[in-house]
Amino acid sequence: MATVVEGGRDPRGAVTPRPQAPISGPELASTPLVIRRREDEETVVTFPYLVWREFLAGLAAFVFLMLVSIQVNAPLLQRANTSITPNPAKAPWYFVGLQELLERFPPIMAGVAFPSFVIIFMILTPYLDRNPSRRPQDRKVAIVLFTIYVCLAVAFVVIGEFFRGEAFNWDWTLILGHPGLSSPV
Amino acid sequence: MSAPPGQANPVRAFVAQLWGSVFRHGLPTNDKVAARTALTNFFLHIHPVRVKKSAVRVSYTLCLGGLSFFLFILLTITGLFLMFYYIPSVDSAYQNVKDLQFVAVFGDIIRNMHRWAAHAMVITVWLHMARVFYQGAYKPPREFNWVIGTFLLLITLLLSFSGYLLPWDQLAIWAITVGTNMAKYAPIVGPYTRYLLLGGDQVAQGALIRFYVLHVIALPLIGFLLMVVHFWRVRKDGFTGGL
Ligand code: HEM
Repeated sequence: MATVVEGGRDPRGAVTPRPQAPISGPELASTPLVIRRREDEETVVTFPYLVWREFLAGLAAFVFLMLVSIQVNAPLLQRANTSITPNPAKAPWYFVGLQELLERFPPIMAGVAFPSFVIIFMILTPYLDRNPSRRPQDRKVAIVLFTIYVCLAVAFVVIGEFFRGEAFNWDWTLILGHPGLSSPV
Repeated sequence: MSAPPGQANPVRAFVAQLWGSVFRHGLPTNDKVAARTALTNFFLHIHPVRVKKSAVRVSYTLCLGGLSFFLFILLTITGLFLMFYYIPSVDSAYQNVKDLQFVAVFGDIIRNMHRWAAHAMVITVWLHMARVFYQGAYKPPREFNWVIGTFLLLITLLLSFSGYLLPWDQLAIWAITVGTNMAKYAPIVGPYTRYLLLGGDQVAQGALIRFYVLHVIALPLIGFLLMVVHFWRVRKDGFTGGL
């Protein structure tokens, strides 16, 4: 039976020793385990510090979702029926911003140009932003531009979801609790 | 180090042996052992062995990337349970979901969780992107991981969208009708794209099976692959860390 020594059961070839210099347990523990580019910042071992925090975050998320799932049922309306069009018919909330755009701009702009532009611009972001600094005070333009994008995206989703009633017309009564209109039938 | 072998309390020795047999190393009583445990463990080696102190702080990542991944796992597990019941046919899909919601033991909880976790994931991934942007964490050498991230965001949206159709209720088909109508506007390819997605002109059986296959196989697989590369890059490029 393998002896259990705290501080390290000898790994069964777990870490392949470099061929030139076979290393035994204690030495192995003292050799640098990762090649680091910069040693300028203090580090901690991932396990258990980070892993423990991840576990706690996951647990919290799970408990939260469990409580929500016990309380709130996922929607399930009438069986699908192609002959009854709900009014309004809305896209899922994360696409309702696009639907809102379509309401305001010609389809070729709202449905094609804007989304393509956003996706392409997003992919190119790290290559377009030549500013090497990460400090907020040096990145005013980037931060302002991105914040404008975030606000617009959120605003369009909120408008589409909460302010568009019958025939996707503007409708204040949705948030003020008009009966029967708050969800598509 | 505490008591040498032999003198240790037998229960403790057994725990240590058990631990050692699973993790291939002793209890993580000091940094070196802990580091080796992480280094030689299949699941833990997704992490670097050491991380910057500032990277561990909750205020740095706000847990958002990790939470997105956690939600992805949770969605995979709950989705698997849903698949035991769900048949992607327009004749049975709605009834299957109804049974899940009202008949199957814990079916409602599993379905609710799958649904709410899906919404939550869209939000956490989006917020994760925002935090990466605000911290300038996409700057060299992490440019390409941002690009991978962009595709992950798209995959997340498509996963959620494809799942939306499956309950086959009024909410489902009309949301997908509206959503896929948007595809029509693309010049030339638009109508073809829509036809390809729906397997027809209308949201019907053709669309249901396509969305189902995309939702349970294709998109999760692509998403998982992208995540693996994403995490690998996070490891190799190192955490950006505090400002
Ligand atoms: C399914 C979606 C995604 C998952 C599961 C995911 C997961 C993660 C995880 C776990 C990290 C480590 C740090 C953290 O927890 O924040 C990370 C870092 C990162 N992610 Fe994501 N991510 C996703 C989508 C995205 C998106 C949409 C973007 C941006 C467009 C992105 C860009 C990045 C970058 C650049 C890093 C490195 C950040 C740093 O070093 O500070 N990821 N991601």
